[in-house]
Amino acid sequence: MSDEGQSIFSNRFLFLREWITNVKQSRRHLADFLFKAALTAIVVIIIAPFFLIVFQVASIGFWQVFGTGRGQGIEFFLTFPGVGLEGGIRNAIVGTVELVVLASAVGIPLSVLGAVYINEYARSGLVRNIVEFTSDVLAGIPSIVIGAFGFTFLASFLNLGMGVLAGSLTLAFMMIPTVLRTTQEALRAVPMSLREGSLALGATKWSTTWNVTMRAAFPGLVTGVLLAIGRIMGETAPLIFTAGNSLSVPTELVGSGSWVASIPYTIWAYISDPREYLQAKAHGAALGLMLMVLAVTVVANLISRKVTRRLV
Amino acid sequence: MVEISHNIEIHNLSTWFGSKKILRDITCYFRDNSVTAIMGPSGCGKSTLLRTLNRLNDLVPSFRREGVVLFRGQDIYKPGSSVYELRKRIGMVFQKPNPFPMSVRDNIMYGPKLHGVKDDNELDKIVEDSLKRAALWDEVKDELDQPAPNLSGGQQQRLCIARALSVDPPVLLMDEPVSSLDPLSAGKIEELIVELKKDYTIILVTHNVQQAFRVSDEAAFLYLGELVEFNSTKKIAVAPQDERTEAFITGRIG
Repeated sequence: MSDEGQSIFSNRFLFLREWITNVKQSRRHLADFLFKAALTAIVVIIIAPFFLIVFQVASIGFWQVFGTGRGQGIEFFLTFPGVGLEGGIRNAIVGTVELVVLASAVGIPLSVLGAVYINEYARSGLVRNIVEFTSDVLAGIPSIVIGAFGFTFLASFLNLGMGVLAGSLTLAFMMIPTVLRTTQEALRAVPMSLREGSLALGATKWSTTWNVTMRAAFPGLVTGVLLAIGRIMGETAPLIFTAGNSLSVPTELVGSGSWVASIPYTIWAYISDPREYLQAKAHGAALGLMLMVLAVTVVANLISRKVTRRLV
Repeated sequence: MVEISHNIEIHNLSTWFGSKKILRDITCYFRDNSVTAIMGPSGCGKSTLLRTLNRLNDLVPSFRREGVVLFRGQDIYKPGSSVYELRKRIGMVFQKPNPFPMSVRDNIMYGPKLHGVKDDNELDKIVEDSLKRAALWDEVKDELDQPAPNLSGGQQQRLCIARALSVDPPVLLMDEPVSSLDPLSAGKIEELIVELKKDYTIILVTHNVQQAFRVSDEAAFLYLGELVEFNSTKKIAVAPQDERTEAFITGRIG
């Protein structure tokens, strides 16, 4: 028994000694080791922000979301804030859901059909180049500029006023580049022979595109849509000038009754507020938002994977 | 008008992609209820010829054509003739199996549904018939609702044949249908081709001479876009008239 222990120990020791001699003997081994160590450090730096963010948000907002006290837990999500903001954030949650649903209803069909047009129908390279270029530039425009544009064009020029419609249309602008480009990539990955197989049966171009090409591209399409939804759920800047804010839920599509709160806007407003008790609510809302984005990701992944297994 | 005796006839057909001439002045007809093999080395225009017959080349913007292709006496390129109707009558099987991303059943029902078959019983019957004719029914009858891409390569190709048969075309074009398959699956499909010629006019593109000899009744040898020789397979195998044909079947070119 002790003999065995001795031998394991000496074996380990042997390896260690061999390793040290190697390092000593060879500068190449040392360089190799340093490079490995540097990469490890980089990986730690890369993953640290995620954990730090989760830690920061959870350390202040955890009990707001998972606590069982008054105004905590599920109650936090289901009650309206009231005049002194002492209640929950139901207004923001309903608002974000409404904004995202409306934005998706406008943005997803537009960008998917746009991608279908430039990938399947457009013959000239010019149209394709223009659409690709503009959507790439649009993706790079800072969100606050998009917000300013939404205010000037939608709220002011088109006279929609601030509210749920102007806000969601502004978010729809933000969705277009992501969904368009990912849909395009997905369509491009569908082999030509699949389209030909359908056309050779006497199918029209439209039937081929809708029933075969889009179906084959569906998993990629879902990924793009989910990325875009996850992104706009957390956007604050485009909503500052376009959605307004509200302690309740919108009752109209345009006009003063259409003002709507959103989770990111609420987080921003609460953190900027000097009242101490709003800090926990802000971080609780942040935690809630992160969980919502996570849920969207998981659900969309499940759908995508299920469809992939069933179809491809 | 000349009496029409064949499903497909070609008169003085030349084709171009852009400025590149692919086919040079081809005139021939394909005998009904038999297998015609189009042989030739890579790049000689075999596939272009095949795809001209169901107008699949129309997808290529730079494609240009002169000459006439007749399907049952009608010029298929005549303005106003329906390309959808034509492709329904001339089925095609491709080099690589290309099942649609749907179930086996939906793959077969796709064509009939496009052309207006709505009745469920009729569709079920088409599914069974087509799969039986493609010698696949026994293997997949319990998995009709499984995704078609889960089938093996050989099964996928037979599914694609069944899919082509589902709209009951008198003519079947096959573009090297076994070249991506293992020998066993390839053998099955060759048997199937011989079996199918009873009811269909089959035009088979292949660069495999042995395969052409095994399955075809007539053979065409295409070289650099030119129809060098077109004769019964037996004659070509035993006594090729042109020295280029002989060079190809003995493996000296291609």
